Amino acid sequence: MSLPVRVGTLLVAFLAVVGGAIFVVIHYLLAGPPTVDFTSQAAPGQPVHIVLQEAPQTTVSDRPDWVSYFIQDPASHQWVHTTLFKVPAGSMIDVTVLGYDGCTPLRNPFWGKISGTVGNVEYVNGKPTQVLNSWGECSVAHTFSIPGIGLNVPIASPTTLAANNNLCGTSPCTSGPHTTVTFSFKAPATPGSYFWQCRIPCGLGFLDGFGGPMQTIGYMTGEMEVAG
Amino acid sequence: MAIETEPGTTQHPGGGQPAGGAARRPWWMRPAIHTGLIGAVIGYAFGHWLGNLIASGYQQVGTSDQNDTAIVLGYLFMVIGWLAGLGVFNDLFKQMAGRRLAEAENGNGPGGLAQYFRFHLDHKVVGIQYLVGMIIYFCTAGLLAMGIRTELLSPVHHVFSSATYIEIVGEHGTMMMMLMTSVILGPFGNYLIPIMIGSKRVAYPRLEALSFWLTPAAFMILLSALLLGGFHMGWTGYPTLSIQDTSGADAYAFAFGLMGISMTLAGFNILVTVICYRAPGMRWSRLPMFVWGILGTAVMMALAAPVLSGGMYMLLTDRTVQTAFFTDQLGGSTYLWEDVFWFFGHPEVYILALPGFGIVCELLPVFTRKPLFGYKVAAAGMIGVTLLSFFVWQHHLFDSGINPDMRPLYMLTTEMISIPTGFIFLVGMGTLWKAKIRFTVPMLFCFAFFFNFLIGGISGVFNSDAPADVTEHGSFFVMAHFHYTIMGGLIFAFMGGCYYWLPKMMGIKLNEKLGYWHFWLMFLGFNSTFMPLFAVGWLGQPRRVFEYALRLQTLNDWVSISSYVLGFSILLFVINFVWSTVVTRVRETGNPWESRGLEWQIPSPPPAYNFEHVPVVLSGPYEYGSEGSEPVADLNPPVGVLAAAFSGSETARAEA
Repeated sequence: MSLPVRVGTLLVAFLAVVGGAIFVVIHYLLAGPPTVDFTSQAAPGQPVHIVLQEAPQTTVSDRPDWVSYFIQDPASHQWVHTTLFKVPAGSMIDVTVLGYDGCTPLRNPFWGKISGTVGNVEYVNGKPTQVLNSWGECSVAHTFSIPGIGLNVPIASPTTLAANNNLCGTSPCTSGPHTTVTFSFKAPATPGSYFWQCRIPCGLGFLDGFGGPMQTIGYMTGEMEVAG
Repeated sequence: MAIETEPGTTQHPGGGQPAGGAARRPWWMRPAIHTGLIGAVIGYAFGHWLGNLIASGYQQVGTSDQNDTAIVLGYLFMVIGWLAGLGVFNDLFKQMAGRRLAEAENGNGPGGLAQYFRFHLDHKVVGIQYLVGMIIYFCTAGLLAMGIRTELLSPVHHVFSSATYIEIVGEHGTMMMMLMTSVILGPFGNYLIPIMIGSKRVAYPRLEALSFWLTPAAFMILLSALLLGGFHMGWTGYPTLSIQDTSGADAYAFAFGLMGISMTLAGFNILVTVICYRAPGMRWSRLPMFVWGILGTAVMMALAAPVLSGGMYMLLTDRTVQTAFFTDQLGGSTYLWEDVFWFFGHPEVYILALPGFGIVCELLPVFTRKPLFGYKVAAAGMIGVTLLSFFVWQHHLFDSGINPDMRPLYMLTTEMISIPTGFIFLVGMGTLWKAKIRFTVPMLFCFAFFFNFLIGGISGVFNSDAPADVTEHGSFFVMAHFHYTIMGGLIFAFMGGCYYWLPKMMGIKLNEKLGYWHFWLMFLGFNSTFMPLFAVGWLGQPRRVFEYALRLQTLNDWVSISSYVLGFSILLFVINFVWSTVVTRVRETGNPWESRGLEWQIPSPPPAYNFEHVPVVLSGPYEYGSEGSEPVADLNPPVGVLAAAFSGSETARAEA
């Protein structure tokens, strides 16, 4: 084989490998759910308003049976299938969660206790609540928990059997039985990524419910990016 | 001894007999890598379809949106299709049908570049295939390491998400730990062992070739985990994390199990070759140290790797057909996994170390021009490490469920293994003592091996101490320790072996100036990368977490920048390798190092079947500087010598 042929073959092989590597990096390693930015919407000294919903399924994805959170874009008011959001450091965060999913009994009653919010309280359909007792009735669907700042908020579910049998069928949900949970907390003053997740094992079909959506960013785990 | 001495007909590795006909087919119809790929694609499609047919109605599949059965069956049939496309089964079916084997069809025809893309039965071709494959695998995993270090440049600003980061860590670790087990045994063991022991072939050429062709399949399957969402439990695959994980864990378990099969095949082949195919006169006391090292490695592979494969496929059945081997609540045991995994996992550490010991012991006498100091001590060290390696695995469980009463026992056995390891150091230092050293590139890598492995070994003693391990477990300290032993030992020895043996294997010498640059950048880059990580670990940074304390950023940045230097040094090696072997191709056909090794007594690269006649070994390979030492072998022994050697009759030998 002549030298030009050897060098040419080598170059083609090199370019093919580099092209393949770039494709994998861009499409798989750097790809991910979008981040909803609340920093540009926030007026100095004013609270940031975040609206989330938990949907019983994710019909907009290739995992239609996975439960998932959605975040409402503050500018367009469209629901975005993501669990990544960015807030200003040290700001007050007002959160509204629309709980469209049915109840799942808490494995550990500790997670029924509200902590880390202003006054350690959440408002379920406007009613102040400090503990959701899911032992007495099946009343909790998921939690919104940020371990790094000690935040734990159980999200109440529709309580009646009829409501639980008629949950919304397409996501993001726009109608159907749901609860409205509101609470406030203070974002940390230290910039960084703060991991958040649901504490209730809701990965149906996985061992103990801990797999699938429970461990996948964009579904029941996410990150709150605190910008300096 | 099952050796072919003076065959009446031409020998053919694997026993295939020449027959015409098949070579007349055009190249694209002959089995090679392209037909293998076609077979793999067809196989995957069929397996995936079958899996969906069987399992899509399972309640568990319906609720999880994840059909692991389809994925695993896809991989299974993909591997079968890959091997069928490569022509692995052709001879088998022909023999079953009573047809003669067509040599050209199974790749034993004329040489040329094409032979390296085929299922070939010549151990030298397999050795080169392994060499190129291992460099590709190592560089891929190395690039993933660059990704890890790039992410760790800042504790606040991120390149990857936390989930992607752990995927990259898992891919890097698994790829290195499963594929680099064969980084020396594959290329150098397969290529050189038969020549070093005076044999024309290996014992099981088909198993040897199969062991290689399983590695690209394992590599691609493991990489495909990234397309399936990766796996998040790291290279150790602990349940229940691995049972809960998304489909990427199927790729992890299947690929690792496949590589276990490859290791088992490779181990048995080397084992039988060394025991049964030594030339007359190649006594155990004359066996080159590299052969001792590879022999020990082969023993560990043959005994430990089947346990790994079994464990991986048990994990797969847990994930697919709902067995419960590793699920405590259902009668299984997560602790069982820890035992199964580490029963392979710790011998694996020595699978990675022993070939390095073998290389440095082989090279030191050549470049010091002295006999190896304490040959029997070195051999005892190799055997000692091999045996003890099966009695230490539970030290990995000091912090994860071991009966506390068992800790002292495994602490003791672990610390005991530093004794045979110390033998190798003793032999190395004794050989260097008062020597006139030639500071060639391979020799520099030997020095670096001893320096790095010493640090890795000493830090390992800390880890083996149960009270200290409680603090260090899961930290960057442990990570720095095993990189010092595995990369600092194995990979440095591999590089030394490349510079030393490539003139033999390819008849081409690597550029020396680039070699020196490669060595110094790699040595400084390596130590600058991993030395600070001991401190980082002691200061509390845990492994596998992409955020860390702000006060550790300076150290982490130093490490990351050093890792780029290390990465650049590897790039320099690849450039040197490609430049020397593809572009300049400066021929080196003689014995450039003036070695007494049997492999250097024949032309480079070696002819087909290595030796024209089976040689008679006359003396050991390390008798440098000894007045009146005999030549290492008679390559053209008189008629009758071999018959006498095998007859066992002293009278016949004397007559000969």
